[in-house]
Amino acid sequence: MADAIALIDANNFYASCEQALDPSLLGRPVVVLSNNDGCVVSRSSEARQLGIAMGKPYFQIAAQLARHGVVVRSSNYALYGDMSQRLMSCLEPHVAELEVYSIDEAFARLPRPRHSDLNRWASALRSRIRHNLGLPIAIGLAPSKVLAKLANHVAKADSHHAGVFDLGCCGDPSPWLERTPVEEVWGVGRQLSRWCRLRGIANARHLRDMASGELRAKAGVVGVRLQLELQGMSCLPLEEAPAAKRETCVSRSFSQPISEEAELRQAVASYVVRAAEKLRRQGQRAGRITVFARTSPFAPGFYSQAASTGLPLASNDTAVLLQAALRLVPGLYRPHKRFAKAGVLLQELQPEQQLQHHLLAPLTAEQQGRREALMQHIDGLNRRYGRGCVQWGACGLDPAWAMRRERLSRAATTRFSDLPTAWAR
Amino acid sequence: MAESSLRCADGAGDGTAWAGLDSPELLGNLRAERRPLRLPLAGASVAAGFPSPADDYIEVGLDLNELLIRHPSSTFFLRVSGDSMQGAGIQHGDLLVVDRSLEARPGLIVVAVLDGAFTLKRLARHRGRLRLEAANSAYPPLELHQCGDVQIWGVAIHVIHPLARHG
Repeated sequence: MADAIALIDANNFYASCEQALDPSLLGRPVVVLSNNDGCVVSRSSEARQLGIAMGKPYFQIAAQLARHGVVVRSSNYALYGDMSQRLMSCLEPHVAELEVYSIDEAFARLPRPRHSDLNRWASALRSRIRHNLGLPIAIGLAPSKVLAKLANHVAKADSHHAGVFDLGCCGDPSPWLERTPVEEVWGVGRQLSRWCRLRGIANARHLRDMASGELRAKAGVVGVRLQLELQGMSCLPLEEAPAAKRETCVSRSFSQPISEEAELRQAVASYVVRAAEKLRRQGQRAGRITVFARTSPFAPGFYSQAASTGLPLASNDTAVLLQAALRLVPGLYRPHKRFAKAGVLLQELQPEQQLQHHLLAPLTAEQQGRREALMQHIDGLNRRYGRGCVQWGACGLDPAWAMRRERLSRAATTRFSDLPTAWAR
Repeated sequence: MAESSLRCADGAGDGTAWAGLDSPELLGNLRAERRPLRLPLAGASVAAGFPSPADDYIEVGLDLNELLIRHPSSTFFLRVSGDSMQGAGIQHGDLLVVDRSLEARPGLIVVAVLDGAFTLKRLARHRGRLRLEAANSAYPPLELHQCGDVQIWGVAIHVIHPLARHG
């Protein structure tokens, strides 16, 4: 009995999350904007039907959105992250193996029953997720990951499939491969697709049937695997436990350019605070910290600079990382430059338990334990009462450059002060 | 919690040893040799000196989540506003625990989506038809066949009502 691979993803995930927790948005057109309220990154199906384009800068289409009565929201990552975890744990009991691939999609492996398709199973799972979480999902099924991705695409593109498509049961899959342009095949990058097009390989079927020697010469073993996957042989295994992260990065564009060194320091400080928090959640310490800043690449006189320092002892203590990072800021700063973005990269990550006590360590084991307890308390308070409730002085108060999120919905699933109202009237 | 207690119970602060514990056969061996693998944190803090006589009897503390929530991924909290459900013991300002995975049946208190808002009512069958009833005579029932578009969003499974301000 062969296994089936499923690619399960949420439709318009961000917009769907907004609708799931706010009943006034059900059936209404909703769009979600990227960081700093820049571009449209998610559209509810109602907004899509109005012809609102993806990726359009908000200021360009604000009038159009207002005319159609479209509800506009800033990205609410607290909500999307929580709904993502709920989605994945709802899926998990229904499959043999689950690989969480991104915030809104997962690969799954499940046994395929002999002589039958999995459409019934997939439809039932789809209505369960809709019922339990209010999220619409699409499910593509096939013998391999690359084909599952393609099947998912078909499930979403043709409305008569109702969000479910099993490629492993409908005889010859060639017609479906023929309909898929080579650029849309999962794993085909820009370079490979250009190479394919030059050779007249226009769609997934052409790619599947081309001479494998030629593909191997161009793309090596990766290309061979891709072709085998298209032929229905599974060679990309599911990765259940993601490898421990080797680096953690926090970077953001500013809502308005920064020219003062003090402001750049504040921005770097607040990214360090965020990155250190991430590190502690991942149970890791960093051995190296890199800070970078740049001006807008679209403005004249582009400037970009990075500086890096090793830590004498790997740490995830915010105060230690702040001290190291802030020492690097003067090296990045140039007067009269209008900085548009900065970031912090924590590198040489190692598991928390691995820390060896250094002979020359600045803190005793007891002091170290107390620092760790302090960090835990700060993280706990910020989780409970909202991020920024306990803040580090170096980050500044209510800075002008902070991310613009003027249309942010409430953290309806992660904060007691933000719960939706059940009206008893 | 389980993980940190695990680590302390073993008494090893060394990360590499722990990575090995993930493999099932090793875990099986350990279970055979040393039973109390999942000790609570409190029992593990005795590093030296005499062990506490209570150590053998310590259990993990009570967790209200475990009592109140059967399906964590489909359970949501809502804040009650208004007095129409007073008769069912639900007061203004109470915290409502709602499980979306349950099927709504007559007799259950449900959160319905009505005119774009979450509305708290009891689902009831009256003369063969379904309707939404308040638990307060000041509010008339809503016949489901008469309202246009009503969606049952979830089933209320608990209400949390404070009796005294803490702090």
